[in-house]
Amino acid sequence: MEELKKLAKELLENKTVAAVIGYQQVDDKRTKPIIVTTPEDASKLVFNEYCLNNLAVYLTKARIKNLAKQNGTTLKLGIVAKPCDIHAIVALIQESQLKREDVYIIGMNCHGVVKDYGMDFSGETLATKCTPCDSHKPLYSDSNLGEVKDTPKVSDEVLEKIQAVEKMSHKERFEYFKKEFDKCIKCYACRAACPLCYCQRCITDKTVPRWVESSPHSRGNFSWNVVRAFHLSGRCIGCGECERACPMDIPLSLLNRRMTETAKQAFAYVSGRSLDTPTLVGSYDVKDSDELFM
Amino acid sequence: MDEKIISKQNLVNFCKDIVANGHNLLAPGKTEYNLIQDPSEIVLDTKSKPTKASYKTFVFPKAEPILYYKRGKNDVVMLDAKVDEKKTVIFGAKPCDTNSFNILNKIFNWDYKDDFYNERVKNFIVIGLMCEYSDRYCFCTSVGSSPVSEKGSDLFLVPIDENNYAVRIVTDKGKEFIGAYSKYFTEGAPEKSKAAEEKVKQPEVAFDSKQVHEWLGKNFEHPKWDGVGDLCLSCAQCAFVCPVCHCFDLVDEDYSYTEGRRMKNWDGCQFGHFTLHASGHNPRDIQGKRYRQRINHKFKYYVDKFDEILCTGCGRCSRGCAVSIDIKEIVANCTD
Amino acid sequence: MENIYKPYLAEITEIIDETPDTKTFKLRLKDAEVAKSFNFKAGQFAEYGVFGDGESTFCIASSPTRPDVIECSFKVYGKVTQALRRLNEGDTIGFRGPYGNWFPLEEQKGKNVLFIAGGIGLAPVRCVIDNVLDWRKDYKDITIVYGARSVSDLVYKYKLKEWQEMSDVKTVITVDPGGETDGWTGEVGFVPTVVEKLAPKAENTIAVICGPPVMIKFTIPVLKKLGFKDEDIFTTLENRMKCGLGKCGRCNIGNVYVCKDGPVFNYAQMKELPEEF
Repeated sequence: MEELKKLAKELLENKTVAAVIGYQQVDDKRTKPIIVTTPEDASKLVFNEYCLNNLAVYLTKARIKNLAKQNGTTLKLGIVAKPCDIHAIVALIQESQLKREDVYIIGMNCHGVVKDYGMDFSGETLATKCTPCDSHKPLYSDSNLGEVKDTPKVSDEVLEKIQAVEKMSHKERFEYFKKEFDKCIKCYACRAACPLCYCQRCITDKTVPRWVESSPHSRGNFSWNVVRAFHLSGRCIGCGECERACPMDIPLSLLNRRMTETAKQAFAYVSGRSLDTPTLVGSYDVKDSDELFM
Repeated sequence: MDEKIISKQNLVNFCKDIVANGHNLLAPGKTEYNLIQDPSEIVLDTKSKPTKASYKTFVFPKAEPILYYKRGKNDVVMLDAKVDEKKTVIFGAKPCDTNSFNILNKIFNWDYKDDFYNERVKNFIVIGLMCEYSDRYCFCTSVGSSPVSEKGSDLFLVPIDENNYAVRIVTDKGKEFIGAYSKYFTEGAPEKSKAAEEKVKQPEVAFDSKQVHEWLGKNFEHPKWDGVGDLCLSCAQCAFVCPVCHCFDLVDEDYSYTEGRRMKNWDGCQFGHFTLHASGHNPRDIQGKRYRQRINHKFKYYVDKFDEILCTGCGRCSRGCAVSIDIKEIVANCTD
Repeated sequence: MENIYKPYLAEITEIIDETPDTKTFKLRLKDAEVAKSFNFKAGQFAEYGVFGDGESTFCIASSPTRPDVIECSFKVYGKVTQALRRLNEGDTIGFRGPYGNWFPLEEQKGKNVLFIAGGIGLAPVRCVIDNVLDWRKDYKDITIVYGARSVSDLVYKYKLKEWQEMSDVKTVITVDPGGETDGWTGEVGFVPTVVEKLAPKAENTIAVICGPPVMIKFTIPVLKKLGFKDEDIFTTLENRMKCGLGKCGRCNIGNVYVCKDGPVFNYAQMKELPEEF
């Protein structure tokens, strides 16, 4: 932990970065995001199993980007990132939302985080996004910090649920998702927490014409949740922030994970894993399978 | 205040009768208040965590049709939207939820009266339950309520021993309602319920709402608003789970070439487009201004206008915030 | 159960093209009973709805002293105004209102009145002008200053002509520099500059001003310099609204609901509000 504070302080002091987006402790089982802009505040930074947020969401925010502009030059934005969060940063770079040189990645070795705040870290409380995770060391980073520890081995709950849903008949599956989507209140916390939902104006907010009904009733909720799942197909990096942010406990990761698996099987592509690969949608090849096109 | 006693078993019987009489019965689940078909499934627990969503959707639905229309060549026919007149009984509501109607009544009834709301409230019976849950986000005692507050309940339950609950009859509506179920109730023992109440640990008072009100009046411009605005992600989780946030949108939706309906849907002041004019001008163009509006609306403007704090201290907004913005902490720091 | 959100039905009896993107509708409430009892005051607004597209908020542009017809003018900006533009004479729209407060014309009798408007901002001012003109003997000097970006952006050209021809009304029309045409005989210059040059006397005068925020922002200091009191400068705020009934929370500025406590405010009241308009 001391190495993180020390590094952040140095980066801010020698003006490598304008700010460090990181985590600060709230109590022993809780952290929250912090944007550190002075070397003195670097001592507030922490990293542990309670660092749930994917802070990459802040990298595309206009006011945060503006922080980097100082006295006519543009400094980097520092970010404390877990290996999975780095996938989001890579995806943003792949999609030209960010330049590699504009971000200083403080990559943390990670052995998983808890499902929610206030829990002790153990296999049972391991976040569902961590169970299938094989990225415990950062793929890309400017500094790599933190201990390497074993991740608790637990079964892949989300995959099991997906398999259960796949076994359902069409009607059952429809009813299952209808019941889940009916809970949606359209607070758009899923969209807000998603690092890849960076559109300046989301399609649901467009009124001329209105593509997605704004009402949070069955039809409007189906439109929204399905549109979002499609829009994230081959783009979602699986950080699970949408599901964590959802106040109504809608199992959004079932959709996103399933679409990710589809992209993987059909095109051997996983989003956010390589800076040298074009995006899935941006790399159509005539040899691509037609099966997934309607 | 009149008080009765009901055994746990009779409480289940009471609920079964409520359902059998054709009323809607709601009880708290994990995520939200659920419509109960089988009352034996209800777990009444004073220590349970508040549901993630409040029950305001049952009086102020997240989406409700307010009229139907049919377009002809040049003319339009309008049809009224009806409110379900079924009685709804909410069972085991937390005191931080029960006070919500008192607060909402003000906005929906100053001058123009919103009868969609009023009709539902009229048909609502609130059975509150003393609360023994407390976490870092709770602050009912800072906004004039408490875990044993009967405010807003028609009937209020206090567990007095392993097998029995005291039932306080708070309103005439409550009294009238249990008249039909009197066989389940026996005479009360107020000293027992009082003793039970006194044992409840009260959340510490985090701020003085009068001082906060005064501070907000003097600090419309303050660096803290941009500070929290930069972290806030601009969703409406906080507003939509809130028992008293009441902003809404009116939208038309067609379901055929000639027919459709006008909807009244929840809307949130944290969305950038909430105040966006068609011309592109936006009076609250950055998140800091929108967060300032949220806090001011709750702890200053609503107080000035309606003499009520627009907050019940339930802590839902903080508990559910994806970036851990804690309203209690922010408001407690609204001081010099 | 009363439904406060239910509009009256109104027939579009006439459509006037004011500018390429601004139209005026003349409306007739379809229910004869409602039409008979309908009344409003200068400055009030209404919700105009196209069924299937929604409602939009504009002032009532006609004067309450001429109650046979309700007029509204709108510039095409968003979903609802685009839908309104597509309508024809004889079509039906929804009308909810009148809502909000009004200009205190009764209380200001015996004074001079200075009207200042820019662009489509003439719509709410026009209602007051016609009202004052119908009560002409109750007021002293009447001055109208109206400006638009260019000659083709001037609305109510037929009205402007009428006012210019009146011997007891001083009407000054201006267009922004570069917006004039060859034959233009009016002023060229921004509204605040024209007002400053005109230098209307402030004594015993009220000013009614409406236009783009930037025009209001630069005109108020001019009026202050001329000696106008805060209480004598009136404007109408146009925050985004949906319900018009003080419920939906959208037009809320401080503890004021523009739709209920406004839209008409004097400058003294506006100074009390947080700057969120």
